[in-house]
Amino acid sequence: MAKGQSKQVSKSQSADGSDVYEEQFIPYVNKWGRLTNLLAVALSLGPAVTLLVVFDILPPSSAIIGAFAAVAVTFGWAWVIEPLSYYPVLGIPGTYMAFLSGNISNLRLPCAAAAQEAADVETGTPQASIISTVAIAASIFVNTAMLGIGAFALVSVFQALPELWRNALESYLVPAVFGAIFAQFGRDYPKVAGIGFGIALSMTLLLELGFLAFLPSYPLYAVIIVSVFGTTLIARWMWYNDMISPPDEDDE
Amino acid sequence: MVWHELAPIAPAYMEIANSPWLWLSTVPVVLAVLLQATLFLRRAWNDGREMGLSEEKLKTGFKTGLISAIGPSVAVLAGMLALIATVGGPVAWMRLTVIGSVAFELPAAELGVSQFGYSLGDEGITETAYATAVWSMTLGGTGWLLVSAFGTRHMETFRTKISNGNEKLLPVISAAAMLGAFAYFLSGEVTAGTPETGSVAVGGLAMLALLHLADSRDIQWIREWSLGIAMFVGLLAGVAVQVTVGGWW
Repeated sequence: MAKGQSKQVSKSQSADGSDVYEEQFIPYVNKWGRLTNLLAVALSLGPAVTLLVVFDILPPSSAIIGAFAAVAVTFGWAWVIEPLSYYPVLGIPGTYMAFLSGNISNLRLPCAAAAQEAADVETGTPQASIISTVAIAASIFVNTAMLGIGAFALVSVFQALPELWRNALESYLVPAVFGAIFAQFGRDYPKVAGIGFGIALSMTLLLELGFLAFLPSYPLYAVIIVSVFGTTLIARWMWYNDMISPPDEDDE
Repeated sequence: MVWHELAPIAPAYMEIANSPWLWLSTVPVVLAVLLQATLFLRRAWNDGREMGLSEEKLKTGFKTGLISAIGPSVAVLAGMLALIATVGGPVAWMRLTVIGSVAFELPAAELGVSQFGYSLGDEGITETAYATAVWSMTLGGTGWLLVSAFGTRHMETFRTKISNGNEKLLPVISAAAMLGAFAYFLSGEVTAGTPETGSVAVGGLAMLALLHLADSRDIQWIREWSLGIAMFVGLLAGVAVQVTVGGWW
């Protein structure tokens, strides 16, 4: 009904609309976004602290540090690269929200894109950023509720399963997920995937056959470090020698 | 082997992992997520109207966000089963509502239990090893939160600085690091046994087939479901190998 009209309004006020956006909305988002994300850092310790306080279970600090170091070696890149690469699509409010709520590429980005399309706003404008903020908030309400109810229900389903199937879920879902994610990344760089797998398998066999025993404590870290950095260095060398190229160049 | 369907045969830590205390402990952080969404929503609605966006467009945006989230949420829920089976319901819920995705939380949990020489799904995982997994998921996830909390307002500057360097090399390097890391996870599974190897291989092949199908026909829902479907196909492959050839290694 008022479609033509509203378009006109947004056009005629666009100059002052971006004023509101830059001078009111963005400062508010920056202030509260930082505050809520830092609050979440503290509150996310909830389960770990509960294990300690209620159940009196605290892993030795060496295990926590070892595990954290392994996670940092594996995902440290992603901590920086992902916000940087999704930022142009998500915008400032979307970056705070998406990195607090997770599931970005499979949930937040499609929701924001669909909403911008449906509301007929031009991508990259302040109006588009407002619409995607609204859409991401809506998606957070939906998936928090659905996952909460679903998780609760699935726990009972899982506990009622016959042992063969429960055992299968415990043992084979994880390798299947790892295989699927490896394939997903490897699709763009099959040569790098092959080399990475070769390195990791050799290192794992060396570890299991005891050839890494000269290293201090349980040398799992050596396997991770050599796999990650070995693959990265070889990929870098291949890139400089024109042996691999980013996927978008192959396609078109 | 005892075959009571209702007998608690699950590892000991599972009782703790699904206890009401743990459910309770996840509530505050989930509330923080909802709080942020509510604050941003209210502000975007008010400022959006002041910017000349019609009520109608804002409603369309909100409704589209609600509806578009349903499909992917069910897909995430399917993927969540792997986490529920290994770290319990509450932690799985919290990790996938706050920060995480299955692609991060599973490896992080695996790195936690591996500090004690276990692999997810092993029998006899101790409570301490389980707690280490919870710690490594928690601390590992804070990387993204800290970068987004402190970095978002400086993103534009960051980006121009980085692209002055070698912007085309950057995605290659980060993809290679990810491939190296997941190659490590795969080799752990492959050396664990024949059924695990079957799950890895079939899960990977299923993913490739699904993504190929999604790309060639441009079907978005297949992309959303790809991890969930590949996971179940891989699971079935593992069971099939277990009951047919058993374990060669």
